[in-house]
Amino acid sequence: MSTSSNAYNAGIMQKTGKAFADEYFAEKNQVVHESDTLVLVLKKSDELNTVVEEILLGSHKDQNPTLVVEDRAGFWWLKANGKIEIDCREVSELLGKSYSVYDLLVDVSSTIGRAYTLDETFTITSELMGLDVKLQDVARA
Amino acid sequence: MAISAATKAATDALAVNRAPVSVGAQEVHRWLQSFTWDFDKNRTKYSTKYHMANDTKEQFKLIAKEYARMESVKDERQFGSLQDVLTRVDAANRVHPKWNESMKVISNFLEVGEYNAIAATGMLWDSATAPEQKNGYLGQVLDEIRHTNQCGYINYYFAKQGQDAAGHNDARRTRAIGPLWKGMKRVFSDGFISGDAVECSINLQLVGEACFTNPLIVAVTEWASANGDEMTPTVFLSIETDELRHMANGYQTVVSIANDEAASKYLNTDLNNAFWTQQKYFTPVLGMMFEYGSHFKVEPWVKTWNRWVYEDWGGIWIGRLGKYGVESPASLRDAKKDAYWAHHDLFLIAYALWPTGFFRLTLPTAEEAEWYEANYPGWYDMYGKVYEEWRARGCEDPNSGFLPLQWFIENNHPIYIDRVSQVPFCPSYSKGASTLRVLEFNGKKHSFSDQWGERMWLSEPERYECQNIFEQYEGRELSEVIAEGHGVRSDGKTLIAQPHTSKDGKLWTLDDIKKIGCVFADPLKSL
Repeated sequence: MSTSSNAYNAGIMQKTGKAFADEYFAEKNQVVHESDTLVLVLKKSDELNTVVEEILLGSHKDQNPTLVVEDRAGFWWLKANGKIEIDCREVSELLGKSYSVYDLLVDVSSTIGRAYTLDETFTITSELMGLDVKLQDVARA
Repeated sequence: MAISAATKAATDALAVNRAPVSVGAQEVHRWLQSFTWDFDKNRTKYSTKYHMANDTKEQFKLIAKEYARMESVKDERQFGSLQDVLTRVDAANRVHPKWNESMKVISNFLEVGEYNAIAATGMLWDSATAPEQKNGYLGQVLDEIRHTNQCGYINYYFAKQGQDAAGHNDARRTRAIGPLWKGMKRVFSDGFISGDAVECSINLQLVGEACFTNPLIVAVTEWASANGDEMTPTVFLSIETDELRHMANGYQTVVSIANDEAASKYLNTDLNNAFWTQQKYFTPVLGMMFEYGSHFKVEPWVKTWNRWVYEDWGGIWIGRLGKYGVESPASLRDAKKDAYWAHHDLFLIAYALWPTGFFRLTLPTAEEAEWYEANYPGWYDMYGKVYEEWRARGCEDPNSGFLPLQWFIENNHPIYIDRVSQVPFCPSYSKGASTLRVLEFNGKKHSFSDQWGERMWLSEPERYECQNIFEQYEGRELSEVIAEGHGVRSDGKTLIAQPHTSKDGKLWTLDDIKKIGCVFADPLKSL
C-alpha cells in the first residue's frame, strides 16, 4: 500500500469508525480546502495499460515523484501534484502504430483538474487554464 | 442574392484564413475557429443574468471527423465486449442478485439524466457567444444522445441476458407511484433545463458532472466489479470518457463569466443552490444503492463521498477558484452530515415503501449489520434493531400481513416529502440533516426538510408545485394504486418490487397487499 499523501486511501481514509467520524466532522473540515493536486481516471485497455506501465510508471517515472497510480478494478486511478503530460507521439512509437491524442481520449475516463490537448500532447494540470494561464492553439504550419 | 452574399463572405474569409496545408486535426480546428463567426450579438431564447465572454476556448479542440472516429471506436469496444466475451461467459447471470437490483435504479435513472442533458447542452449552445465554447457544447449534445442509448442498452442487456428482467425492461411505467422518481426528475431534469442558462450549466456541468459523475459513473464500477458485474464497467467507464469534456465545458462556462460583474453578485448563491440540489438526491440515493444494494462492500459510502466530492471536487475545482471569489458552498456542513447518515435514513423509508418501487430490496444480514456498526458507530441502535423487528414480524413473507410502513404509523413517525427535492424524510426518526419545516402558500401546505431547499422555494414557489404521492393518492388503497401505476409483472398480479431477492422466498401479489388494507394519507393534513 502506498504511503503517499496522494494515495487512494491516504490521510483520513485510513481511519475507521469513530476516529474517521471525529476527523470528518471536525470544524476545520466543514469548508473546502484548496488543493494543487489533480486526479486522472484511465479506462483499462491495451493502449492505456502500456501508457501507465511503460511511460508514466516507466520511462517518465522521475518526471513527477508525487504521482500515485492505483489499480481500481476496471480503471487506473492516478493522483499527482502539478501536472501529468502524455505525448502521444511517444505512445505511438511504443505501440508501433499510429496513435493520436484523440485515440488516447477514447480511454481517458475522468479528470479532476484542468485537462486539455495541444497538438499530440494531453495535459492535466492544477493550473487554472483560461484564467491564470491562456489556452494555446496549435502553432501554424 | 443571399447565396452570392454567402459565397462572397466565404471567399473573403478564405482569403484571410488560408486552408491548412496539412490535415492535422488541431490545425483544422484552429482554422475553423478563425472564421470568427459573429456570435457576439447572438440572440438566444435561453437568457442568463450573466454575460458570457466571446473569446472562451474549448480545451479538447474537437473537429467532427475526429470526434466521430473517436466515438465509433468507443462503441466498437463497448458493444464488442458485451456481445462477444461477456455474453459467452454468461456474465449477466454472475452478478450478485442484490447488485442486479441496484442497476435497475442506477441505469434507468442515469438514462433520464442523459436525455435531459441533450436539451440542456442544446440550450447552452444557443446561449453562448464564443465559437469554441459552442463547439464544446455541440459535442456534448452528441455525447448525451450516445449516453442515453448506452444506459438504455445496459438495461436491455441485463433484461435479456440476466436474472429478473422486471424493472430492467420497463421501469419508467412505474414513475407515477415510485417515490424516488420525482426527486430524480428534480436533479436530472428540472435542475438541468429550467431557469437561467448559466445556472443550468452549474447544475449540470460544474456540479452534476464534475462532482457527482465520479461516484455515479466511475466509483460505481468498483462496486459493480466487486459484485460480479462486468457489464457496468464496460459501459459506464466508456460513458465517462465523454464526461471529462463536459467537465471542461462547465469550467469554461465559469471562465466565460469570471470577469462579469454579475458573477460577484450571483455565482456563489447559484453554486450553493446547485450543490445542494444535486447532493440532496445523489448523496442518499447513491449511498443506498452502493451499500444496501450490494453484497460485497468496497468501502463505506461516506469515504467514497469524502474522496470524490469533498476532497477532490471541493479542493481541486472549487478550492482552486477561491481567488476568483468562489466560496466553499454554505450548505457543505449539512451535506457532509447527509453523506454520513442520509442513505441510512433513506433505506429505512425505501424499505418501508418497497411495494411502490420497481426493484427488489433486501434487509441487511447479521454480517452486514456488523459492517455498518463498525463503519457508522450508532447504526445498530438507530436502524439495526428496527430491521431485526421487521424481520421478526415476517416483513419478507407475503403471509405475514406486515408491511414495514405500518411500523412508522404505529410508532407515530410520519413520513413527509420535501417539496423542493421531492426526497421523502421522516423528521422524528432521522440522523441526517433533515428537520421538518412547513409553510403555507395559496391555501396549500408545503413540507421542507432543510433551510437550503426552503430558501430556493421562497424565491420562486411556483417552480415547485409537483404533487407528491401522499397528495396524489390520498384516500386510495395501496394495491389499487400499484395496479393503476403498472407496478406488476407480466402475470398481472405479482409485484415488480419485492422485499427480498431470495430464490426460495415467496413473491408478493396484489392480493397480499390488498389484505393489509393500507390507505394513503397526506401527513400535512393532520398538522
